[in-house]
Amino acid sequence: MAGRRAALKAVDWAAFAERVPPNQRAMFNALKTRNDALTARLAALPEKPPAIDWAFYKANVAKAGMVDEFQKKFSALKVPEPVDTQTAKIDAQEKEAAKSTAEYIEASKARITQYEHQLQKLKSMIPFEQMTFEDLSEAFPETKLNKEKYPFWPHKPIADL
Amino acid sequence: VLHTTRPLHTTQRSLAPVPPLPEKGGEVRHGLIPEEFFQFLYPKTGVTGPYMLGTGLLLYFLSKEIYVINHETVAAACILSVIIYGIKKFGADVAAFADKLNEEKVATALAVKNEALQALQTAIEEEKKEQWRVEGRSYLFDAKRNNVAMLLEANYRERLLTVYSEVKKRLDYQVAMQNLKRQKEQEHMIQWVEKNVVQSITPQQQKESIAKCILDLKALSQSAHAAV
Repeated sequence: MAGRRAALKAVDWAAFAERVPPNQRAMFNALKTRNDALTARLAALPEKPPAIDWAFYKANVAKAGMVDEFQKKFSALKVPEPVDTQTAKIDAQEKEAAKSTAEYIEASKARITQYEHQLQKLKSMIPFEQMTFEDLSEAFPETKLNKEKYPFWPHKPIADL
Repeated sequence: VLHTTRPLHTTQRSLAPVPPLPEKGGEVRHGLIPEEFFQFLYPKTGVTGPYMLGTGLLLYFLSKEIYVINHETVAAACILSVIIYGIKKFGADVAAFADKLNEEKVATALAVKNEALQALQTAIEEEKKEQWRVEGRSYLFDAKRNNVAMLLEANYRERLLTVYSEVKKRLDYQVAMQNLKRQKEQEHMIQWVEKNVVQSITPQQQKESIAKCILDLKALSQSAHAAV
């Protein structure tokens, strides 16, 4: 039968648990309990139901043909497999996640390069003892005094002193 | 340190940044006269040269009355002595205090810089960690798919089981019905046979059988008496 018995992929729950960020722990726990419940339920059910002993019934049931009819219908009966509606959605979700993670990683890498740039600048700075105020304004542009906006000393609003 | 030795704009690269200022100012003797003067006169007049020059100049000014001694000399002497005494006594402390103020400013700036460095490092590590975390997303989808597969499988098995149990129930019902009917028929037959037999016993036969029973009993009791 095609489609049945999609083999269960072994999930390494320990490694998974490591990578869960702390703010999503609750969701992870819920997922795990669901998984455990389903595994237990599956394990409790036998894979095939036991075979019906037709010979016994043929010998004992008096009504002629009833057992034969049952047997014929029973072996002809095909139990429909439950239709899988969710796997496609999950695959779609996975693709989406792949895309968004790629974007996130890009952004993250850009941030890392920014941080490293800053780091380089800070590390290659001259020591404070040898700086003039001009050098300080170059190294930390936020300390530059705005002499156009505030032409009089101290060149910044009094509240900022 | 004699600052005449500082090279400034002497090489080709005269527009390069000037090296930082030295920590201490040039050396002076007696707080007034730079050391370079003494070094300048040393080759010709030795160690005592500048002092001789000074003494001679002073005596010249006094004797020729180029510098006149009046009340302002006394005032100058008093003021100067007080100033020199003050500087000698408190100079070092004041200098240390001023240096400390400066040190604190520099230390705050340095602390800010170090904190910024630290924060950047941790930020970089955090980003790397988040990237590592993101790699684990395949686990999530595997787990979800597993859940779905397990649910489907469990459902299918349940259905199979239901079919089986229903069919078995029906067949068992048939068998049980038959057994029950047979049992009832047997019972009924037995009862009917018994009833007929009892009916067929005529009063005449009853009397005969009772008489026979009494005779048998008598015989038995006699044999029992005999046995006892």
